[in-house]
Amino acid sequence: MSNLSDVGNLMYLDLDIIESGDVTNTSEYLINATAKELSNTDGRNWIPLIVKEIAEDEYQIIGNYFVYAVAEAAGLEKVWCIIADNSEATEKVTKMLAGEAIPKINLSTASRDEIKSALEYLVEQPNTNLKGVKIPVATNRIDEAPRQYWQDLSPITNLKCGITKGKKLQALEKVFYLTPQSIPDDLKNSQVLNSLTVTELKKIAKKRKLTNYGKLNKKKLVDLLSEN
Amino acid sequence: MIQAITREDIKGDRPEANTLRSALVALPKDAPEAIVNNNFIVTPFFDALGFSLEERVPEFGTGKGHQKVDYALRHNTDENIFLNTQASPHVLVELKGRDIDLTYNSTSYKATVKQIKKYLLAPNCKSVQWGIITNSKHIQLFRKHGKTIYPATPCLDIKPDNIDELTDRIRKRIKNTPKALTIAVYNNKGGVGKTTTVINLAAVLTRHKKKVLIIDFDPNQQDLTNSLGIQAGKTSLYECLKDKKNSINLKNAIVPYTKKFKSKNNVITFSFDVLPVDLQLANIPEDKLKTELSTHSLRKKLETLKNDYDYILIDASPNWRFYSISAVYASDVVLIPTKHNNICSLENAAVTIKKYIPEIQKTRQEKTQGLEWGATALPIFFNGEKITDAARIKATNAIKKIIQQVKKESGLDLSPYLESKTGIKIFELPSNAYIGYAAFEKIPAAYKNKIAYSYYAELAKEYFLQ
Repeated sequence: MSNLSDVGNLMYLDLDIIESGDVTNTSEYLINATAKELSNTDGRNWIPLIVKEIAEDEYQIIGNYFVYAVAEAAGLEKVWCIIADNSEATEKVTKMLAGEAIPKINLSTASRDEIKSALEYLVEQPNTNLKGVKIPVATNRIDEAPRQYWQDLSPITNLKCGITKGKKLQALEKVFYLTPQSIPDDLKNSQVLNSLTVTELKKIAKKRKLTNYGKLNKKKLVDLLSEN
Repeated sequence: MIQAITREDIKGDRPEANTLRSALVALPKDAPEAIVNNNFIVTPFFDALGFSLEERVPEFGTGKGHQKVDYALRHNTDENIFLNTQASPHVLVELKGRDIDLTYNSTSYKATVKQIKKYLLAPNCKSVQWGIITNSKHIQLFRKHGKTIYPATPCLDIKPDNIDELTDRIRKRIKNTPKALTIAVYNNKGGVGKTTTVINLAAVLTRHKKKVLIIDFDPNQQDLTNSLGIQAGKTSLYECLKDKKNSINLKNAIVPYTKKFKSKNNVITFSFDVLPVDLQLANIPEDKLKTELSTHSLRKKLETLKNDYDYILIDASPNWRFYSISAVYASDVVLIPTKHNNICSLENAAVTIKKYIPEIQKTRQEKTQGLEWGATALPIFFNGEKITDAARIKATNAIKKIIQQVKKESGLDLSPYLESKTGIKIFELPSNAYIGYAAFEKIPAAYKNKIAYSYYAELAKEYFLQ
């Protein structure tokens, strides 16, 4: 099939037939100043634009938007492009490779080092919302928490590691996603049980065919389930 | 009061529920033909295809014996109401019940395709351009151009989710019937007479008053351009193909070829158009070429000429690389010349049919969301060698062996392409000393020599002219 498709080819395409899609915010200064530098050379963009073919002779950018913005500012009619395939996975990873999208790690299964480096990345960002968060403390508490059962990131706010609801928690969503396991019916670990909501605890109680749990508060529910 | 009745009537005739989707959902699982016809085809399918009651003739007599096709359709013109005149049908529809399986390549599918092809070629159906087979579970559109019939769409699954879009796409294709049939003349093996075939076929077709364009798409050999003594046009083919923005008109690259012949009392002029190859295209290495052109570039450019010609013939290069792939991708049908005494040319024909053309079809279908079939192979023919009976038997045996082998290896049945309908008689284009000689005069042999003309006229009638 390779003969028939342009996927993988380096092609010299008209800027007019390339759809820009959502162009990321890049500073006008960087675009215009780079465009000027490019115009001073033979105008060849040695770093190619990454595009996919959306119809015959119609393309869409999936990576290196900056190159497109510069080519446009430099008044180039044609740009060098690499044709990528049409899959969503390709588009996603291409944006990451181009540094235009932040990769996420699975917090349900991530190692301690992975959690640490993700938090470090967030704290090092200019305009970070995580100022004052102590990385060793946060790493430890998140790592040791029963995160394999978390449905969302909100239990982190209960870990007393300086990450509170709102902007701080939202910042974490940039790097973490979850693939929660279902809670085993015979779960007795009180620490894990403590991290669950009252509704979830009652569900477990129901499955274990316990009685008289309807009016218990969380602490008593946890006690009941860790014993029975 | 009258107003009220009228409104109700309209509502009654066309209740909300009477859409394609709901009619389809309401059809019983194994509805026989009469139910499919009454509850789906008559309304709402034909309505959605854009054919009113007066534009449909049920049980249309094809003129071949007493054979009748389920429906013939044609849009009315001011004075010519199809239902009244029953003249010049445009579309034939062969309908089946849901109890008949029309899954691609099933026995009943093959039988139905055979049936619609027979109707399409019947005497009263000369004007027909399209054929449809459907049982409301599957539908396939066929194009008829002169004598040539080929699938316009794959055999499509009809589902409640796609019925609206599918019908709309079929309606649009029928509405925009392209005038031209695009034929790639291709064999992976060189020296089988592709260029001679293109030139003389063009000559014969023009003598049948057809408007013809021939394209030299073999830049390495440039035989076609050279053998007609043609110079490149105002714009080079390369410049045109490279223009993905569609700002250069391909017509600028076309050069007319005209020959005048004196007969007893007057002068007869024959002419066709040529898209010659240019040196620029010939000199570019393939890797460089592929930075600017895609294998769909030729097809896209030719679309702009589809209503200017009756036939577009492409002389493809003998390999399976950029030029030949582009030529086959651009074509509706592929004509494969072979030599009976050259086993390679026969084996290559088999490879083309079992491997290359399906690749083209797959790509075409992917690019059109499964709605366009892609190029179709025509049965092969023996080109320009004297065939003795013994040689014919030898060639036939070789072909039989190829068919058996391919069937064993891949389950594909090549016999419709390598044998003729009646068995093993393949069309033969006899050799003629003049055909070779004419190349030196830069005139198609079919223009100058009666025998050459009659040979190629037979070829044109075998495949194209009705």
